[in-house]
Amino acid sequence: MTPDFSQLIAKLTDSGFEFVMIGGYAAVTHGSSQVTRDLDICAVLTDENVELLRRALAGWNPRHRMTPQRLSFLQFPKAGERVNNLYLETDVGVVDILTSVLGLGDFARLKSSAEKFEIDGRVCWVISLEDLIVAKEAVGRGKDKLTALELRVIAAKRKL
Amino acid sequence: MDSAEKIFEEARRAGIDLDLVDTNLALPVGERWRQHDGALRFILKLQEAKATYDAGLQPTDR
Repeated sequence: MTPDFSQLIAKLTDSGFEFVMIGGYAAVTHGSSQVTRDLDICAVLTDENVELLRRALAGWNPRHRMTPQRLSFLQFPKAGERVNNLYLETDVGVVDILTSVLGLGDFARLKSSAEKFEIDGRVCWVISLEDLIVAKEAVGRGKDKLTALELRVIAAKRKL
Repeated sequence: MDSAEKIFEEARRAGIDLDLVDTNLALPVGERWRQHDGALRFILKLQEAKATYDAGLQPTDR
């Protein structure tokens, strides 16, 4: 696997799949210096959206990384099968799709305050800096608390 | 000390490099992503090299 999250985001954006970027890569987007191993996004996982996602990732061998057999995302879940979250591994990186974020809520809640970034001619919605601080503090692990502190520095610098 | 300075001081004590944050903030977002992805690929290569090296080490009875 050769991680290339920029390419992954470009593909997802071009596919019409609607999402808000969350997690460590959102922190990087806001200016954090941390390195993260996965791309976390929040979305509504309707049948239609799962199909859009499937088409977007089809060329990169997407598989369910939490299953011992690494089941193909191109075959599972079946149409009509309800899923809350997807934890996928692809040839260009790990991507986790969550339907809600601890301490904040669902996609609609996140999107209502998300920040819009235009990168290489594409529009990408990213969890707001304030929401990301709340989310990182809600998780409460050591590394998340450190990221939250770095994000508070960035928020303070924005106000200077 | 104002609240911003308090946060900066707390961050310095926690080991956060504020100059690095400034450097990142000066970059366009697309460049932040490219630099991040390059750093991640480098980390993974180092880990792969370490795994190869460790696999080549022979256990010894002494």
